[in-house]
This record gives sequence, structure tokens and C-alpha cells, in this order.
Amino acid sequence: MYRAKKLVLAHFWVAFIAFFAAILLGEWQMYVRSPLSPWVNNPEHYYRSVTAHGTVMGYVLPTLVAMGFGYAISELSLKQPLKGLRWAWVGFWLVIAGTLMAAITTALGKSSVLYTFYPPMIASSFYYLGVVLVVVGSWIWVALMSVNLYSWKKSNPGATVPLAMYGNVAGAYLWAWTSVGAAVEILTLILPASLGFTDTINAGLARVFFSWTLHAIVYFWLMPAYIAFYTLFPRAIGGRLYSDTMGRVAFALFLVFSMPIGIHHLFADPQVGAGFKFVHAAMTAMVSIPTLLTVFTIVASAEVVGRLRGGKGPFGWVKALPWDNPMMLAVTFAFIMLGFGGAGGIINMSYQLNESIHNTQWVTGHFHLIFAGAIVIMYFMVAYELWPQLRNSGPLSAKLVRAQLWLWFIGMMILTMPWHLVGLYGAPRRMAYYDYTHPALEPQAITVTISTFGGLLLVISAAMFLYILATAKRQALPVPEFIFSKAVHPGTKPPAVLNSLGLWVGMMIALTVVNYGYPIVQLALTPGASVPIVPVGER
Amino acid sequence: MREHGFFSRKNRWTWVSVVALIALTAASILIGFGLLPSAQADFRTQGLWDSICRAAGLPSKWYESNDNKAPVISTNVVLLPAMAKQASSASVGRGATLALNCTMCHGAQGMSRSDAPNLAGQYPEVISKQLYDYKNGNRANPIMVALSKGLTDENIADLAAYYASLPKARTAPTTYDESLPALVRVGDPIRNIAPCISCHGGVDQKLGAPWLEGMPKQYLVQQLLAFKEGNRRNDAQQQMRNVARPMTAEEIDAVATFYARKAAVAEH
Repeated sequence: MYRAKKLVLAHFWVAFIAFFAAILLGEWQMYVRSPLSPWVNNPEHYYRSVTAHGTVMGYVLPTLVAMGFGYAISELSLKQPLKGLRWAWVGFWLVIAGTLMAAITTALGKSSVLYTFYPPMIASSFYYLGVVLVVVGSWIWVALMSVNLYSWKKSNPGATVPLAMYGNVAGAYLWAWTSVGAAVEILTLILPASLGFTDTINAGLARVFFSWTLHAIVYFWLMPAYIAFYTLFPRAIGGRLYSDTMGRVAFALFLVFSMPIGIHHLFADPQVGAGFKFVHAAMTAMVSIPTLLTVFTIVASAEVVGRLRGGKGPFGWVKALPWDNPMMLAVTFAFIMLGFGGAGGIINMSYQLNESIHNTQWVTGHFHLIFAGAIVIMYFMVAYELWPQLRNSGPLSAKLVRAQLWLWFIGMMILTMPWHLVGLYGAPRRMAYYDYTHPALEPQAITVTISTFGGLLLVISAAMFLYILATAKRQALPVPEFIFSKAVHPGTKPPAVLNSLGLWVGMMIALTVVNYGYPIVQLALTPGASVPIVPVGER
Repeated sequence: MREHGFFSRKNRWTWVSVVALIALTAASILIGFGLLPSAQADFRTQGLWDSICRAAGLPSKWYESNDNKAPVISTNVVLLPAMAKQASSASVGRGATLALNCTMCHGAQGMSRSDAPNLAGQYPEVISKQLYDYKNGNRANPIMVALSKGLTDENIADLAAYYASLPKARTAPTTYDESLPALVRVGDPIRNIAPCISCHGGVDQKLGAPWLEGMPKQYLVQQLLAFKEGNRRNDAQQQMRNVARPMTAEEIDAVATFYARKAAVAEH
């Protein structure tokens, strides 16, 4: 790497230390809600904790990982020093400042709004301004990724953009457009109310704007994991990527379909019409396509490796895979969790099925399985892969890494499976305590206890992760050059549209206008749609 | 096939993608706005265009109501944060004069010597809302309804400002630990009873929820019973009626005893 080492390292350290603090809060939340602990005396403390946990895990960790990994990809794949290093540091410090602002406001109890900006609950302005700073910091990253790709294209006319950079910039553009929803909501609706310029708010419209961001943000979290699937995994297990073009198709499809589908979070909201709910549900189903393409391509890449290692028959190649390789384990775990989480997700996105699990613990189980499971386990691998480059260290202990990954996988399954079950029983999410002495709730007590122990394994695994990173030994010798996976047929030129992002960005914006335009305009023009705000923690 | 232009062989990826997206969008719109609504009896009663409008989320009347009964209004007051803002000293002064009318029951300094509620230090929007509710006939009390009839909007704002400016009976915050009655601290989620402290101070102080510490016990019991039996209905979202309905007489007594424990003046 050239110039960005320190920058990437700073992003990763802050992300992972914040991650560890938030995971402690998460486990505390599990514990106080379980029958192992008496009811939390002040439920406000629970909601404060949920707000902090969600803000760090949902906004700070993935943003910093995507940014840090993005800068690394830019230098490593384009093989040119990062342009705009100074701006990148400005972006980093904006994210830090924003995080601190939001964290302090939350700790003071002035913003227990549960990290989802659903008015009429209104937190202190400092919380929202903090989130805005985080987003603005990340926009600098978006611009830099674009600038770096553009300058590379200029000096390499006609060359194929490396797949890692293609996915990276796709993720950046996706984030830029996705964050517009929450940004508009905060700037035009929430901040005027929070600053005291107005006493009422159009809550229905605000929720629609938030849904614009709320679902697509998940795919922004997911992009680094998918980049790792395509460009790190095949090389790490000693093979090649089955299809480079398929990777591009998957990234392009994510760009198009991840954005205009957020209304499936509002199935229970009466202000949105049933027709739009159906259209968004249908488009949500489309997102399964890039995921299934990815699973196919990655499994095919693994099969090639398994067969080259002497595996025979329909399943013999699975046995022949390098199972002692941490990346092999991580991707397997990620796919298992993605499979369960995805199956649950199809229930969430179905207008009718969603009725039975809407706002229950099922949903919490679902997004922990997908994000904290499948995606975060790949964040670990990204860090492990880049660490020797960043710290000039020798290879990390594969034994420790394997143990850490196993713990994370087992912990996450033990955490989330009972959550799904208890959600089917009807347990609402986001409650500070449940009365398990009541006969109707008694059967749920054991599931929550089990989840608590799953959470404990996750805390141990996260501590191991930090330990492995912190104890990496620097070496005097230079580390070998970092390489991304090569495709099975490396020279193949992808179609021109899959070497650029213009068409897909255009389709993304057009589809957003079709799917969101009418509901937004109609809600904005509906008379009498504003309700009095409910300031949180004012008195 | 032409070599240039949108449908050219060169642009195959582009036009296939764009056409496929348009086809997919059109199909899902046709199903979502045409086919599915037409399969629902209540969507299609007023014709195709109306069913499309409903699917689009346009507010519309779902049925024609034949009874012309006026809707039941629990309160005409919309609580806004502006009502809780600190008032001018002139307003407090005018309120002090007006409050001479109230001293017989509510005490010279807003601390009641009878079983009328203490008003000293009460939140201004609480005073305003209750006075408006008495005035509009949304809360019943022979004396208060009669007294509030003559009050103007300014009078009400002044009275609220005056009482808000008086020192409360007890200002030190309670520490919320296991010694508090369970209903006050954590409520009873399975019976849908929210904890008192989540609105009346402690965890959060919601707009329009009164300060209860030091209120005469008899007053608190009476009001909870009135909410429970539906005789008092000026809680806009039925929040107090829903809380009080499942409460037993013993629970009402325990909660009232807790909030009245600092009512030093009222206890003889």
C-alpha cells in the first residue's frame, strides 16, 4: 500500500473499538431483559443503551469499515496512491466528531429515540447533527472513491476496472443516494422541530423518508462483505473466481434494486397505500437475485478448488476443501447465516406474512443474523486479510482466528434462533422487560435465557478479535504484495456497461422516482398531516 | 439490426436491462394497483379509478355513514411544546391576581389544605389544558366548570404561568429503586399498565402529564376511579383510562399513597 496505511488503520481501530463497546451494551441489554436479572429499574437506561448500540452498530461501524476498506481497495486494486488523502482525513475526523456528539447526547439521555428517526419522537438536535456529521464525512469518501476511479480511468483508457474497485464504487454510489432519504428527513422535518422552529411534524412523511434510507443502508453494510466474497475468498483458498462478470452483475443489480424497496418496513403504516406496498415487496424480492448469483458464483469457485484438490462426486469436493483455512470457514458461516437470515427476510418482505412477525423479536433476530452474522464475520476477515499490509506484520495465528470465527458463528446462532422463535410467539421487540412470571409468557423465558448465553459467546469472540489484531507482531521484512482473486478466465473483457456504473445509477434514480415520488408528494401535500412532536428527555 | 442507437447490437446489455426493468416495474404496478385491489371487495366498491386511488394511498372515505351523531370529543386541547414555554413576569403577575379566586381550595401559595390538587409548580400546559377542558365541558366539576366559564385565553395562560412559577412542595428527585411500588416503577406490561414514572417524571415527563408528588391522596384516588369508571374522559388518547381500568382498588390506593407521601400540608 502507498499512502493510505495510517488512514485505513485509523478507520479500522475506531470502528472496532466502538464495536466492542457497543457489543458490551448489547449483551447487557440481553441480560437485563432475561429472567436471569430482575427488571431494570429505570427502563430509560435500557432505551439509552439500545440507542447507543444501534447507532454504533448501524451507522458508525459499517461506515468506518466501508470507508477504510474502500481506501485500501482504491490503492491496492488500482495500484496508484490515493488521491485526496487530506480530504480523507477530514472525512474521518468528521465521522469521529459526529460519533462523539451523538454518543454524548445519548449518554445524557437526551436522545433515546432508538436510532431509528421515527417522529413524532424528537431527540436533542445534537444527536441529529452528530449523525449528519457522520454522513457528511462518509460523503467525502464517496467523492474520493469516484475521483480515484475517474483518474485511474483517465490514465488507463479502455482498461477493465478491477472488480474490487467496481464493487467499492458501486457501494459508494449506493450509499450516496441512500443517505439522501434520512438527510432530507433530518434537515427538512426533524431539525426544524428539534431546534424549536415548529411544534408539529409530518410524521407519516418522515417515516417514508426514513424508509428510503433504512433498507438500502443494509446493502451499503453488505457491500464490503460481498467484495470480500468475490475478490478475497477465491484467492485465499488457493483458487480463482468462477466469473468476474457475475460479480459485476451482482453489484449492478444491488445498485438498482436495493434502493426503492424500503416501504416494506412500513407495511403496518396506514399513510402508505397498499399498491405501493406491493410494488416495494415485489422489488424487494428482486434483491434475492444478486444474492443467489453470488452464492452460486462463490460456491462454484469453491467447487473448482475442491475438485483440483482431488475431490470427486457430487459432494466429495466439499470434503476436499481447505477447511483449516479461516476464510473457508468464515465464508461458509456467512452463507449459512445468510441462508437462514434470507429465508426469514422473505417472510418479512411479504405483505401478508409480515403481519405475523411485524415489530416482534423475529425482526431483531433477522437483522442480527444477516448483519451481525453474515456481514460482520466478513468484516473480521477483511481486517485479518489487510492487517499484515497495514501493520507490516507476519500472518496472524490461524488457530486463534478459527476459534474466534467459530465462537462468533455459534454465538450468533444461539443468539438469533431463539429470537426468531420468541418472535413467532409474539414477543414485541424494544421492550425493557417482560413479565415471565405470567403464564402466557412463561414458555418464552427459556428462549431469552439461551439468547443471553449466545450473546456472551459473541462478547468473548469480539474480545478475541481485538486481541488478535492488537498482538499482531511487526516484522522487519516487507510483507508480500497484496493480491485480489484472479478470475478463471482472467483476460475476458466484460460488456462496456459492466465496466462503468452510469447506467445502473440512472436506473437506481429512475426507479426511486417511480417508487417513492408519488407517496412523498402526496404525503407532503396532505392537509392536516402534521402531529405535535414528542420531545425526548426534555424535562 | 442497426449498428448504432439504443437498440443496436452494441448496446444490447443496455437496452435489455432498461426494457427488463421497465417491464418488471410495469408488471408490479399493474398487479399492485389493478389486479390485487380489484380482488378486494372493499377496494372496488366505488369503481376502478377509486380502487386505484385507494391503492395509491389517497385518503378517501371507506364507507358512507348514515348516522349523523356528533363524534365523542374527549378534549379540544392540542398539546404543543410552546404551551410549556416560560411566560413573562407580567403574565405571572396578572395570574397572581386572578389566582385570588382559587385560594379557597387550592391554598394561598398553591398548596391545598383541602383535598383539592396542589397547583404550586405545576407544569403550565397542565393547568391550561384542564382549565380549557372544564370550560369546554370536557371535564366535570361543578365548581371548576362555573369558575372557568368566564376565563379568557389570556386569563388561562396567566394562571398557568403564575402557578408554574410557584415553588413545588418537593423538588429533590426521588431515587427510583425497588422500594417503590411496582406499578409506579415498572407498571404491569402484561395488563397494559404503563409505569407512572414513564410520563409523570422519573424516567420521562411527558407534555400534559401533571406533577403528582405531594398531591392529596384522596384527590388521586378519586381521579383514578373516575378514569377507571369512564366518568373522566379528557385524556385524549385514553392513556389514563387504559391504565386505570385494569387497576384494582388496592393498587389505586397503593399508587395514591406513594405519590401523596410528601403531602405534608394536606395531612392533618
